[in-house]
Amino acid sequence: MSKFEYRDIKQPHYRHIGNYTPRKDAKDIVTGKAIFLDDFSVPHMLYGKTKRSPYPHAKILSIDTSKAEAYPGVRAVITHKNMPEPWGLGLPVHRLLMEDKVYYVGDVVALIAADTEEIATEAIDLIDVEYEQLEAVYSAEEALKEGAVELYPRFKGNHVDNGIKYFQPDGPWWQIIRGDVKKGFEESKYVAEDKVAFDKMPAPLAPETPCCIAKYEGGNDYTIWASSQSAHILKLMGEGRIPNSNLSVKTFNVGGSYGNKQSLMTTVLSAAMLSKVTKRPVKIVLTKEEQLMSYEVRLGSTITAKIGMDEEGYVRAIEGDWLVDTGAIADSVQGQVGVGLGEAQLVCAKCPNWFMDSHIAVTNKQAAGIVRGYGGQELNSCLERLMCTVMKEGNFNPLDVFKKNYIAPGDRFIWRDGRWWQSRSSLFFPEAMQNAADRFGWGEKWKGWNVPTSVNGTKARGIGMGVIGNADINEDNTEAIVRIVPDLVGSHRASTAIIECDITESGMGTRSNACKVVAEVLNVPVEKVSITEPGTKYNPSNYGLCGSRGTITTGKAVSLAALDCKRQALELGARHFKRSVDQMETKDFMVYVRDTPELSIPMFKLAPKELSIVGYGKHMEMFNIPSCMAIFVEVEVDTETGHTSIVKVAGGTDIGQIIDSKAVEMQLHGGFGSACIDTAIFEECILDPATGRLLTSSLIDYKWRPFNEFPPYDAYIMESQIDSFMFKALGIGEISGAAGASAVLMAISNAIGVDIKDYPATPAVILKALGKA
Amino acid sequence: MKKQYVTLTVNGREYRFSIGDGFGQVPPSETLSQTLRKRLQLTGSKESCSEGACGCCTVLMDGKGVTSCMLLTVECDGRDIVTIEGLEDPEKGLDPLQQAFIDEYAFQCGYCTPGIIMAAKALLLDNPHPSPDEIKEALSGNYCRCISHYTVLRAINRVAGNEEDHTAVMHRANDDVENPIPVREELFPSPYAYGVPGDNALE
Repeated sequence: MSKFEYRDIKQPHYRHIGNYTPRKDAKDIVTGKAIFLDDFSVPHMLYGKTKRSPYPHAKILSIDTSKAEAYPGVRAVITHKNMPEPWGLGLPVHRLLMEDKVYYVGDVVALIAADTEEIATEAIDLIDVEYEQLEAVYSAEEALKEGAVELYPRFKGNHVDNGIKYFQPDGPWWQIIRGDVKKGFEESKYVAEDKVAFDKMPAPLAPETPCCIAKYEGGNDYTIWASSQSAHILKLMGEGRIPNSNLSVKTFNVGGSYGNKQSLMTTVLSAAMLSKVTKRPVKIVLTKEEQLMSYEVRLGSTITAKIGMDEEGYVRAIEGDWLVDTGAIADSVQGQVGVGLGEAQLVCAKCPNWFMDSHIAVTNKQAAGIVRGYGGQELNSCLERLMCTVMKEGNFNPLDVFKKNYIAPGDRFIWRDGRWWQSRSSLFFPEAMQNAADRFGWGEKWKGWNVPTSVNGTKARGIGMGVIGNADINEDNTEAIVRIVPDLVGSHRASTAIIECDITESGMGTRSNACKVVAEVLNVPVEKVSITEPGTKYNPSNYGLCGSRGTITTGKAVSLAALDCKRQALELGARHFKRSVDQMETKDFMVYVRDTPELSIPMFKLAPKELSIVGYGKHMEMFNIPSCMAIFVEVEVDTETGHTSIVKVAGGTDIGQIIDSKAVEMQLHGGFGSACIDTAIFEECILDPATGRLLTSSLIDYKWRPFNEFPPYDAYIMESQIDSFMFKALGIGEISGAAGASAVLMAISNAIGVDIKDYPATPAVILKALGKA
Repeated sequence: MKKQYVTLTVNGREYRFSIGDGFGQVPPSETLSQTLRKRLQLTGSKESCSEGACGCCTVLMDGKGVTSCMLLTVECDGRDIVTIEGLEDPEKGLDPLQQAFIDEYAFQCGYCTPGIIMAAKALLLDNPHPSPDEIKEALSGNYCRCISHYTVLRAINRVAGNEEDHTAVMHRANDDVENPIPVREELFPSPYAYGVPGDNALE
């Protein structure tokens, strides 16, 4: 193979791509004009509230709603006894929205619609419920044991179906079985076996609580306004739960989601049912306490595995069992398990021998749902700790091991669809890791396993790193229409381009980036391009923002649609000037002959009178371009108090091509949010085993990192022009912090000289490890 | 004597509300956040945690930053309130702080942004040239989960007249292409790549 170097790559010069362009909604956001769901209301609207279970597992013996119904201003009270239709929850459906049993603290017992929020809240306490408490299970391990109390008849032994058709069209896939594990371990020089749990199910905790307005339109039609980052997913899931329904889903700016506000199923079904009964629009906005105690959190993950590594540091064999705790509702968990298993193969891409099994269990905890990292982070947090054990055996520098084992073009893996894929992504991921490491100072700071970088009195410093990748960045189909709208009265300067694509703005700037991409293709100013309001009904189909897919999938669909427009404009111009299409160029809605620019004509003169030039583009799903993110952390542990602080972070990736320089940087910084890096130090949901209730039910009790505790962050980004779509970019946000937690535990272990495998490594955990508590 | 009215000045306009439980009246239990958001439709400030922990509802009261979810409207009689909607000068345009937030892209989802801007404004009104550490301290009560902290600090430091904030740095490898990054031998090509001897290693 001839050597291909980074400097050989021709770096393109673009008019817009790669620079910072202020977002279309920037001014609205800084002036408070941007509309979020709770800022919006529909005429004649009622307010919905939920009476929730105080017990983790109980049978409802009796329920008396008479006082609540008689309360002035209350318009409807719905319980399991008077539900108009049996709407289900889960994928596969395994329970109803309300039943005569409750399965977690915060489960839905009754729904109330009232004239005001205050009346609805007061009516909650007027409903009298008599419960018979049942035994509860709080971990996947416990739930899957023989004789454990069973939650649902649908899940025998609490075991959730392995794989479902939606995620695995060829049949369920839940195990990596490749090569010969026995032989692999024989070839390995170093073998280590261990068990690691990432099971505190932390909360991504968007600042805007989940909320929606549902309006029953008669027949089978509903209009749903929701704080969802993907209207399409909400429609897809909702229509599966409300029999024969047709949902028109509209979204606004979303106040943070991190993958966590997609289908909002329980909330949306509750509002839709209240609307169906009252025949009025119903708004439900969860309180922060409801969000923390009953809304979806990260999956619980426990892995027992044996890893073999050869003398060069290549992983040769992995045998393991992954237990996944999905809480009381299993919704999309099989997709997350599939992605987790897929991502494990990206990190250990040279390993030919695998037997990795997985088991998903339901437990009496609030539901785990989709969160940024999507199964991959939960598995990676465990698997990379296990890799550390074997790297330590062989006394390898982890940087060398991660570089060697990471997926290169040509390497093959099974993705969550159960199919084989072969990477055609970047050749330069190892270089991105090395260069980020160099900027971080890895070489000088790495002193060996469980050896601190420096010790100053009681303060010991250590470093750690983690690597993760994701091949979901091309997932799901998307289509878009671009229209060049010539000015009606004939000024080419007043012409505009309109993108028709269903994209919600949930913080990543995807709507503006789509405009930027189209402006680049058409060679027009970005401010001349706008995009339709998000919503499922009047837009071409877009699966939505998940798996970091926004950049490539919407980028590809809108760029191809714009190219289709451009081609038509050039053809019209060529005919007009009697030239070949190849001689034509376009700029700022003018078409001109390339070598005779004075021969130019505005597009409005070319297009048929009153009509626009319309182009169509689409993206089709594939999984063969994995991304990569390496993260490096330096921590300082106070061996006296057990307190850990992060003193420096560096991230490295090859992004292909930067679309927006500031947006990509913040995608990397985002690794500190949404329950990523800090799940290694302080972020956790603390369950009281005596009551089954969370003790972390407010923003005071649930710990988060404030402004004055952010360490320096050094990001290193390569742009190797990966063949993803016209502008060669990859998505990264999904994984920017996903390997951070395991990196922090590695750093803490090195700082204090003792292996730490507990998430989070609170002062209590560290002092115990040091034999001081 | 029981008060019958509460008078507030909001963004330069005076409002007089009747206190009571009747329709349209301000009940004694109504928070300032509810009055601003629901009664006056000033929805710029957000209500997120309703217990003063996240700072999303921050507004200026007599020039000081307050969390409006923690104040009862009846307690605010005679006070001068400025919300995010009142920060932009109708003639001069955006406040320098708002412009700096756009220039530095100091937000992502934008939900906590109005609260952060108002908290920063309160700081700058009190101390026009705070140090970088004073800025961080002043914002420590503002929750942001997208992690726009680094760009927010860049924006506020700029308005405060401080040196450019380098807490976070992004380095683009292409900046090195003229003077290339050290070339390494180990690119670890796949043994299974098309055209190499191990191409059929899968079987």
